[in-house]
Amino acid sequence: MLSYTLLAGLLFGLYFSLVAVGLNLVFGVMRLINLAHGDFLMLGAFLAYGLYAAAGLNPLYAIPAAIVAFMLAGVALYYAVVPRLQASRDPQMLSFILLFGVSQIIEALAVIAFGNNQRAIPATVFGSRPVLLLGQSFPVAWVVSAAVSAVALVVVYVYLYHSRLGYATRAVMASRDEAASTGINVHRVSAIALGTGLALAAVAGVFSAFMLGSIEPDMGIGITTTSFAVIVIGSLGNPLGTVLGGLVYGVGLMVMETFYPSWADLLPYVLLILILLVRPSGLLGQRVRLA
Amino acid sequence: MPRGGWYSVGVVLMFAVLPFVYGNHALLFNMMMYLVLAQGINVLFGFTGYLPFGYVGFFGTGAYGTSLAILLLHLPPLPALLVGAAAAMLVGLVLAPLLKLSGAYFAIASLAASEVVYYIVSNPHLTPLTQGPYGISLVQTYNAAQSYAVMVAVLALALGAVVYLRNSNLGLALQAIREEPISAGFAGINVVRERTRAWLLSAALAGLAGGVYAWHVSVFYPKPVFDLSISVFAIVFTLFGGAATLLGPVVGTLLLYGLYNWIGISQPEYFQLVFGIVIVVLVLFLPNGLMSLLRRIRVDVP
Amino acid sequence: MTKYLRLRRWLLACAALPMVLLGAAASQAAVPKEIRIGTLYADSGPFATSSLSQLAGLKFWVNEVNRQGGVFVRAYGRKIPVRLVTYNDRSSTTTAATLYNQLITEDRVNILAADFGSVLTSVAVPIAREHQMLLFDQTGTGAAFFTRDNPYIVLTSLPTSARWPYALADFLKAQGKIRRVALLYATNDFTGSQAQTLRARLQGSGVKLVFDHGVPTSTSSYALLLHNIQASRPDAVIEFGFPDNDIAFLHDLQASGIKFKMVFTIFPGQLLALVQKNVGAQTLAYTYTYPTPPLLVYNRVNYGMGLDRFSRAFHAATGTQPNFLNIAGFNTGLIIQKTLDTAPNLRQMTLRRSVMRFSGKLHTLDGAFRIDATTGAQIGEALPVGQFIPVGKGLTVRMVYPPAIATGRPAYPAP
Repeated sequence: MLSYTLLAGLLFGLYFSLVAVGLNLVFGVMRLINLAHGDFLMLGAFLAYGLYAAAGLNPLYAIPAAIVAFMLAGVALYYAVVPRLQASRDPQMLSFILLFGVSQIIEALAVIAFGNNQRAIPATVFGSRPVLLLGQSFPVAWVVSAAVSAVALVVVYVYLYHSRLGYATRAVMASRDEAASTGINVHRVSAIALGTGLALAAVAGVFSAFMLGSIEPDMGIGITTTSFAVIVIGSLGNPLGTVLGGLVYGVGLMVMETFYPSWADLLPYVLLILILLVRPSGLLGQRVRLA
Repeated sequence: MPRGGWYSVGVVLMFAVLPFVYGNHALLFNMMMYLVLAQGINVLFGFTGYLPFGYVGFFGTGAYGTSLAILLLHLPPLPALLVGAAAAMLVGLVLAPLLKLSGAYFAIASLAASEVVYYIVSNPHLTPLTQGPYGISLVQTYNAAQSYAVMVAVLALALGAVVYLRNSNLGLALQAIREEPISAGFAGINVVRERTRAWLLSAALAGLAGGVYAWHVSVFYPKPVFDLSISVFAIVFTLFGGAATLLGPVVGTLLLYGLYNWIGISQPEYFQLVFGIVIVVLVLFLPNGLMSLLRRIRVDVP
Repeated sequence: MTKYLRLRRWLLACAALPMVLLGAAASQAAVPKEIRIGTLYADSGPFATSSLSQLAGLKFWVNEVNRQGGVFVRAYGRKIPVRLVTYNDRSSTTTAATLYNQLITEDRVNILAADFGSVLTSVAVPIAREHQMLLFDQTGTGAAFFTRDNPYIVLTSLPTSARWPYALADFLKAQGKIRRVALLYATNDFTGSQAQTLRARLQGSGVKLVFDHGVPTSTSSYALLLHNIQASRPDAVIEFGFPDNDIAFLHDLQASGIKFKMVFTIFPGQLLALVQKNVGAQTLAYTYTYPTPPLLVYNRVNYGMGLDRFSRAFHAATGTQPNFLNIAGFNTGLIIQKTLDTAPNLRQMTLRRSVMRFSGKLHTLDGAFRIDATTGAQIGEALPVGQFIPVGKGLTVRMVYPPAIATGRPAYPAP
């Protein structure tokens, strides 16, 4: 039982890392909390559902579509609002409220388009035989979701640490002003980071039907808070710290679900509050700015 | 009469008289409830700059505190309401350390806190104490007319609190903290204490509103009294009208909640869409709400 | 405060007096041109599928009576057309509360019927009582609604939920090979009270609850729970949930590859087509349920259409085969029809007394209609236990308990 729980925790941990990593990338580059993060994930979920329901397509086919569509959406959203906000008096709080408005708009449009009903993609789209891992059998959808998450996280690593764009992105993360003074096009780097963040959320959304339960238009805000918990556990502003946060959260969640199931829902919220109050720097990384 | 006093009296009188000419009292009641909540948000956000997404947590705590005082302590509704307000203030006190966090972190942490309260109250293991997910039934104290009247009183209290803040040293101190926290500290203002006061006052208002709501509907489940959309409504009403004024949240609530009942109640998603657009447009073009338009043309807004 | 109230009461009295006089004069003279029946429905949210089905049944009844010139109202001695006043509450209790108020105070409906299920009915109970309107509770089976001091409610179509598992508990005890039972339920009035009954009825018998766990009604992922249930090695798994819970549960059961000897869920017995579309006939094969009409046929119908005629007419009118909730909504119509047919006036307490008068004598396609005289709860119908048996690519229901209506022996353990 315990080994099953721990293994399931690792699979979910990889997945939660993918769910949250986009939020942390955006935070790292722009110092803004994307309150609509979970709503973009929800849209990715409906994209996968729509392709499955309309054409019987395997959710894996939704991944490239999600990446292209949400990359573009992110870049457009950036140029539409962020430069304007940064000129204002309190950019952090105002952008937070603005993204909350965006979150409401997305949720409302999703209800109008898809109805306020639960949707599911049958877990058997990846085959109906469970997968054996170390003598335990797991639904194949869990294993596929975790594997795709791992690949996506490796891609994020390569993007940040082994590409020219990634070098510039990390420079902006370290200091926006210094990066600008060394001739880096801060707006371009930031817009791409926001696009990447949304695309990562949407890819996570493709698998949410198997990992988070059914797809609903109002699932976004809960996912945003959970993601925020994951990234503060790891470390705010350090995208790779998210992997640690995801694994800690995934294993913690599975242990709770197995041994104290009725209290499991409390986990992300309690962790979030405790870490913000007690160790705001997360398990790795630098301090959060306090008031 | 202090500035804004007559406006407050007018609003309170309006809700005292309307039931005689308009039949759907539930609607009037809900509108008063949102007026109180919007003023509660106003006390905190308008005067300190903290935006509590989890504000509904106090509302739900008040609803449960009041209900459990009636069910377990067998108190009559009025003293039970005080228990509800005290419970909300107690939760506020426990959460006071959150005020250490800066703006956006505070907003998310307060949201998480309201979820924590919700999951504790609705936990099936606590059914003997809170009725868990099975909800509360207060049919023995049900009294729609009395609870309506009490909500009118709570509304008067909420408006009075904001009138006081607009005209008192505490209000000035809070706004000084909001603008320049560091220099306010140097000027001898106890930043932490004044902020905590506003936070507790705000919590008490939501707790009272929640308590009267519980008494008024008398049958409810935990989810609707901890529903995030209650926070969202109150925040949007406040931002729309203009925070840190008395009239802003009132106008925001009357206009938007009126609109909600006109087009929104059976088509809430269109309304949510309108809300979202209102927020985006406000942030980009009118961050201080409708009242700032009046101020621009030199009208003095209480 | 008291001053305000006294003033208010006084003002109300002044306002009410001429109205009472006017009303008394009017009721003598005018025959209303329509009977207004007010109800709510949810076109989205967790109760949408059930609520829309129930509304379709009630609408079908309205169209049927209006086709024949209206419903016979004894108070006026003639047929009067029926108008259905409906609002959409989107499965939200807060919205529903305002809308029930709207129906009573602004639309001034003659008859008030609740939306589907306990959650959306719960808010109507105190509102109806406050306004002294008799609430025709269609499928809100929460036991807490029915109290001795509230005459303003009758439950039309189902027994209160705490009574549902009577036959199921007896079946588990009588089966012989079942010793260990796993119970998983959604924590709401409807399924929580069933879990409580089952727990109480199994206590002291040789059947042990080896797993007993409530999950939030919003639960939509059961994979890990199924694994935990398997670890408790049960002989039977009972899952009590709303349609979305049952579908997610059966769905995850299939995906997990776990096999249990017996699996029981509620809603395949009421919404077979919906569940089957979502999880497939193969997953449902050999599972157990409470069969309700149309899976269960009552033959002693003495009021309204029988099941066959209803099914044909409903199919002709709507293009779909009726499910249980269509029948429940239609049945509500029949109860209202009988009430108006027998009540000497339209005062709400008179309606309630008329319902009591025909309670116990009425048999509709939904079974015996019998109301507990003190509380208004439905006690006429009992829910048996049935098992889905695969036939070709489809399914048929075999009644397995109680013995009086059994059509065969259960296939246990499931092959």
